[in-house]
Amino acid sequence: MPELLEFQDAFVAALAGAPDALSPWLAPGAGEAGLSVYRNTIAKGCVDALAANFPTVQSMVGEDWFRAAAALFAREAPPTDAALLDYGEHFPAWLDRFPPAREMPYLAGIAHLDRLWTETLFAAEAPALSASALEGLAPEALAASRLALHPSVRFAAFDAGVPGLWLEARAGREDLDLTEAPEALLLVRRDGRVLSRVASPAETEFLRACRAGQTLAEAAQRAAAVDPDVPLAHLFAALIADGAFSGLSLETSS
Amino acid sequence: MPPTAGLGLKPQHYDDAVAATVEGLWFEVHPENYMSAGGPRLAALEAVRERRPLSLHGVGLSLAADADPDPEHLAALKRLVDRFAPFVVSEHLAWSTHRGRHQPDLLPFPRTAQALDRVAANIGRMQDALGRRVLIENPSLYLPLTGHDLDEVGFLTALVERTGCGLLVDVNNVFVSASNLGYAAEAYLDALPGEAVGEIHLAGHAPDEGGSALLIDTHGAPVAEPVWALYRRLIGRIGPRPTLIERDDDIPDFATLMAERDRAAAELAALEPSHA
Repeated sequence: MPELLEFQDAFVAALAGAPDALSPWLAPGAGEAGLSVYRNTIAKGCVDALAANFPTVQSMVGEDWFRAAAALFAREAPPTDAALLDYGEHFPAWLDRFPPAREMPYLAGIAHLDRLWTETLFAAEAPALSASALEGLAPEALAASRLALHPSVRFAAFDAGVPGLWLEARAGREDLDLTEAPEALLLVRRDGRVLSRVASPAETEFLRACRAGQTLAEAAQRAAAVDPDVPLAHLFAALIADGAFSGLSLETSS
Repeated sequence: MPPTAGLGLKPQHYDDAVAATVEGLWFEVHPENYMSAGGPRLAALEAVRERRPLSLHGVGLSLAADADPDPEHLAALKRLVDRFAPFVVSEHLAWSTHRGRHQPDLLPFPRTAQALDRVAANIGRMQDALGRRVLIENPSLYLPLTGHDLDEVGFLTALVERTGCGLLVDVNNVFVSASNLGYAAEAYLDALPGEAVGEIHLAGHAPDEGGSALLIDTHGAPVAEPVWALYRRLIGRIGPRPTLIERDDDIPDFATLMAERDRAAAELAALEPSHA
């Protein structure tokens, strides 16, 4: 093995708690203070990145709890990329299995919504489809068209009111309450800002159909199957006003 | 690019940066913080770049890893270089990525002949991919490693000769490393090949909260007076160079950082005309 790689293997082992691995490159007894500096800097870099990417989780559990949990996560799942703005993809699932979080069964869901917020913030640019682009289309053409979701659109549905809880925590409210009713959250970036709001089951079903490349008629059918009373025209207009679509394809085959 | 003084750009100062009117001001960012497909951060950087020169200072390419630079990271860097046309692109004499895992720090290594071959080859790959010369920065060191074939200045000088790269001299890193490893910062600075130096960094440091005698390169405090003295000594010898005030932690308001930046600008302006 090349000497440089051998050294780097030893250095990583020393960081993980086996300082003897570095003894070929260190005077006897030297180096523990220096290794601690590197260990602390690496841990701080990871934990700061997670704190930036999961602010709602931190606001709910407090800074000490959060930083301790984030440091454990970082040890188990260190970043794979130097661009830490994307770090923490697996943090929500990890929190779901983290025993001290068991008393907060909503916490993984809160983390998931923080993650979607980050994805929305950094998604690719695209123009938003405006209502005027649909004017003058024959009803049959509109029904057969397919809507492309804006690259920044994210949504997630929950069995309970995690989205409402997340929105209240983001707004800085205290005395948070978790409601029992199923709820979904829709996120989209508009003019450089992330908009987030509670979405109905019919809306998320409509968006799922669009994401799967189905026609507007099929998406409307799926939404109506979830909620027969849904005002479809209103649902569609609201999503357009959110900027949830980036384009419309009139081709008849997918 | 005239050798004036710049400031590390932080997201909380985007509006101040756009509104600033002082002559000669430029900004620097870590490209890793802008490696996204889209979003408002890139838009804010565009707005600053429309008004000011920009430098891209990489912290994650891991040039001293015993591996080729990550092609995706290099491609993302190239996209930013193409989009923002920076007047300088720089990276560190350090490694951070190892067998697919990224350690967000700038890690040391024994400066052997083999390491020189590897780092020189990686700088060559970086320069080829970007189609331009890059500057390499001296690291802050905390471990008294043995097994070096070259001292740091000798290693950096060899990289300049082999790859045509330039140097980014972080005077605070020289001060911190010299204190931690027990050598003379003045002799280090005096031995650097002055014509290769394309940029200078100034930052703050702090004693180790862990209780050791080490100094930590925190970027969380104002530039210390002994570092200013070393800076004067360096530019007195090699002449003015674009000089950056770096602050990445415990970040004060824009005006406070600009006062430090203006001090660097005054030091540059006070040089003998023979340097102008």
